[in-house]
Amino acid sequence: MTSQALLFTLCCLGISETVYLIKKRFLLQKPVCPIGENCLAVLESKYSRIFIIPNDLLGLLFYIACSLITAFLVIGIGPLPLWDSIIKVLIILGSLLSIFFTYLQWYVIKAWCFWCLMSASTIWLMAAIILVSNLY
Amino acid sequence: MTIKTSYHILRVGLAITFIWIGILILKSPESWGGYLQPWAVSLLPISITQALISTAIFDIIIGILFLIDYLPWFAGLMASLHLIIVLTVSGITDITVRDIGLLAAALVITIESLPKSFVDKIIKGRHYKTIIN
Repeated sequence: MTSQALLFTLCCLGISETVYLIKKRFLLQKPVCPIGENCLAVLESKYSRIFIIPNDLLGLLFYIACSLITAFLVIGIGPLPLWDSIIKVLIILGSLLSIFFTYLQWYVIKAWCFWCLMSASTIWLMAAIILVSNLY
Repeated sequence: MTIKTSYHILRVGLAITFIWIGILILKSPESWGGYLQPWAVSLLPISITQALISTAIFDIIIGILFLIDYLPWFAGLMASLHLIIVLTVSGITDITVRDIGLLAAALVITIESLPKSFVDKIIKGRHYKTIIN
């Protein structure tokens, strides 16, 4: 239950981050960059989409899926073993993708985006929670 | 750190609280029925379980509105009214202080996110009264 509460909290943080980025993109406004000054270099780079889907939208769908699955697990809406496996696979894939995006910022684009790093940290924390809750 | 930043931290924090409470009520609505005072139960036109499931859905909707920052003043107003009702029907218990804190937070969100046109109307009305007097 504790791990699910933490996972859900992180999913909500992720949803609020990605909704903020999507809103700013639709309103054609520059997002606030508390750390670094070159968020736009990353957010407007050719790597900001996977095929035609913007990364912020992909992130939002990921967080919504994870929060729904966590809610199903808490409430007890089955099939519980399937939900448990799906959320683990989703978070592992998300973590790997976040490592790739962080690499792109560091070595390819050579600029840092605060919101992208926040999202990556959120997903890595989610992976750490899954890992620790499975160990104990 | 600006007021705007602290407002967003409060908004997301309150969103998580409301959605999570909603999920916990959906998990076992019967166990949450114990918080209701007997006089409040007797006033219910539906069963306690149905009433608590409706409350859970209402909590989740308020939480989602806070989370996506859509009509936060409306969500804050609904949350405040909801918490006043909760404080009334649950009586004074060990967790009353927590609900008072949540009510204060919901009121802050409502006041901070009131539409500019509404705030301007109030200011204009006050200005008009000052001129008349």
